[in-house]
Amino acid sequence: MRWFGFGFNAFGQIYVHDKLLKGECSDAVKEVKVSTPTELTSQEDRRDCSLKTDCQIRASWSRRASLYLDVDSCVCLAGFVSNESCGIPMKESRGCKDAIINESYLTLAFSDRLECWDLQKKEETPSWSMEIKTHSESSGTPVHLPLVPGGYIATKPPLYRSLSPHLRAKSLTLSAEHAILLSASGTVYTWGLGSHGQLGHGGLTPEEEPRAVEALWGMPMSCVATGGWHSVCISDGGDLYVWGWNESGQLGLPSRGVRKALPQQSSQQAGAPCQEASTSTAEEPQEGEEHEEVFISIQAFPALLDITPSCEVRTVSCGCRHTAAVTTTGDLFTWGWGDYGQLGHQTLISSDEPQLCGVLQRAADACG
Amino acid sequence: MATLWSKISAVLPHNEEQFPLQFSDRVESSAVEMLKRAREQLYGVTTSSSRMLNAQIILDFSWEKLNTGTWRDVDKDWRRLYSYGCLFKVAALCRGDPAADEVLQAVRTCDMGLLMGAAIMDDILQVIVRILQSEVRKSSKEEESEHTEVKRIKIECPRAPVIKEELAVPRIKRPSLESFNTNYLLPLKPVILEGTIGHWPALNEHPWSIEYLRRVAGCRTVPVEVGSRYTDEEWSQTLLTVNEFMDRYILNKGGVKASGYLAQHQLFDQIPELKEDIRPPDYCCLGEGDEDDITVNAWFGPGGTVSPLHQDPQQNFLAQVVGSKYIRLYSPEDTDKLYPHPSQLLHNTSQVEVENPDTGRFPEFTKAAYLECVLHPGDVLFIPVQHWHYVRSLELSFSVSFWWS
Repeated sequence: MRWFGFGFNAFGQIYVHDKLLKGECSDAVKEVKVSTPTELTSQEDRRDCSLKTDCQIRASWSRRASLYLDVDSCVCLAGFVSNESCGIPMKESRGCKDAIINESYLTLAFSDRLECWDLQKKEETPSWSMEIKTHSESSGTPVHLPLVPGGYIATKPPLYRSLSPHLRAKSLTLSAEHAILLSASGTVYTWGLGSHGQLGHGGLTPEEEPRAVEALWGMPMSCVATGGWHSVCISDGGDLYVWGWNESGQLGLPSRGVRKALPQQSSQQAGAPCQEASTSTAEEPQEGEEHEEVFISIQAFPALLDITPSCEVRTVSCGCRHTAAVTTTGDLFTWGWGDYGQLGHQTLISSDEPQLCGVLQRAADACG
Repeated sequence: MATLWSKISAVLPHNEEQFPLQFSDRVESSAVEMLKRAREQLYGVTTSSSRMLNAQIILDFSWEKLNTGTWRDVDKDWRRLYSYGCLFKVAALCRGDPAADEVLQAVRTCDMGLLMGAAIMDDILQVIVRILQSEVRKSSKEEESEHTEVKRIKIECPRAPVIKEELAVPRIKRPSLESFNTNYLLPLKPVILEGTIGHWPALNEHPWSIEYLRRVAGCRTVPVEVGSRYTDEEWSQTLLTVNEFMDRYILNKGGVKASGYLAQHQLFDQIPELKEDIRPPDYCCLGEGDEDDITVNAWFGPGGTVSPLHQDPQQNFLAQVVGSKYIRLYSPEDTDKLYPHPSQLLHNTSQVEVENPDTGRFPEFTKAAYLECVLHPGDVLFIPVQHWHYVRSLELSFSVSFWWS
């Protein structure tokens, strides 16, 4: 498998440009904003060639974690890390089976334990760890972070939060303020803050406990993902549903902010980020009718999003304010915030419509 | 004559070592690294696009933090980070010989920092925006003659309700502190205080007018509510300069139909020059808080703006400076007849359209007793804590509210 990266690269998390190597400040816009999918290489890494082996990529704003899953599995970090550790396998990660990363923590899952490493401090020991009992019935099924036996790992302390076993969680993704969970039976649960409609229950109020998204009831889902303020899921039939904030077109629905920015963008970057605090809520999911003048700011119920007329969606992931989906035919579509090239369309333009982005195998995305 | 950049660099720290960047652990080291790079660029040699890029990265990163969680819970460090982004952007814009629109963009950037950020380096954005504003005034002097087309704002024939005498809010002339305390504050009774703000510069030396506000604040960016009332589906907030706001929503240039209202904005913290024109009422000293605890808001808009019936958690003096407003007051004892919105967000707002109530849906509403008044320039209305109030402007109006406890 080959991996390609695009988007925010001020820390060399996608590729290391000469200036960064020389210790100079990043300078040119095109080095910081990678808008063309660029093959990821492991630098002074174990194999100093492309990431050919069984490898997974995780990304945060300033870093990339490459998770190797072959015989001596380990994690290598790139981006905002000290020069000594850049690209070198973390010795503490030997043998890990899964990993996730955010700006503060690197979480590692081993067959017998979990460890969270604080990336801000250089510490000899993990800032949090937990043993996993291998004899429980959950053994055999590999850990799927941030889900862990009995609960999940949050983005900030307390890192371990328990989950009711009745939920039978299959996968879970987190934003800074909300969570979306997929149960073994394909039911979608959300909780956390809902001020941007990101919970999909129709309102803007928060939920303390996981609550099933009723609008999706009876339609088993196969994949869930969350951006900063939006949520997406894919049904067993390959349909994509989106809800939450559409400020940068991250839902793929008409966005006032994106349309307004378009004419200006050709000349110069638009001015300061204007906080367009529209509180109007879309009452009905858009059923595909095209009304040019109807903009969606907040979509508080799941809406069906047709990416292409013919294909089904296989997998989806989100950055903070953008979304990427791969169809069953292997096409990558991206939409949402594009100022840093994170859509991979070879432009720095945001898009409120899904757009085809070369032919890539699989997308790993992170906010930036 | 000193260039703009030399004036701005004079208020910046002399060198990198004296430029503070102190944050709690909450701010990730990667973000601090971006700040350090921007700081290095401020004193080093690089391109303008590169400076802008780093400033924008800091703004984008902190903007996401500002939008995470509820606003009042956003950590001050994220707001400070945002202010640093604004500072670096302003510095990038004003270097060399900035064009007029770059200076205006810099003013806007300062205002974004003052509105959404938190004070950094002795409120340096406030210092810089003053420098920028004098630059803008200098260059707009020549054009000023054009602006003096100022015809009298047409005073709309206001649909001024006739106030029934038995329902009128009582009026008194400059009561003593003690008499106000005994007769109105302690029993929580509304009253109009006359003759208590006549000495304000806003009503004397610098009578507030369109021209005056343009001169003092024309290029400043402020939040504006667009839509008839904040309970409407179509209602939204936007950011405009005071000049844009006046052109669009007060002088109605460009034929905009929607109504705009500069409402509940702490304009006087943003523009201290205007604060000089007003004074907190002496009666506020009857409260427990200091003068610094008083929240002062500006309410500026054309005739026809409506604040739906709502209540606030503090005592309020509403001072009328320009134009007139119709106001109706209901006691908190009648809350059950006023049908507050069930949602958490709007629970302090009534569902009833006061001047056109749906008696089918809200049958009890007409049974609630009320007081009413038309507030004129120089009047100060005491709205006791939790008292429900409905406000409609009858013409171009500028009011100042003082929330105190």
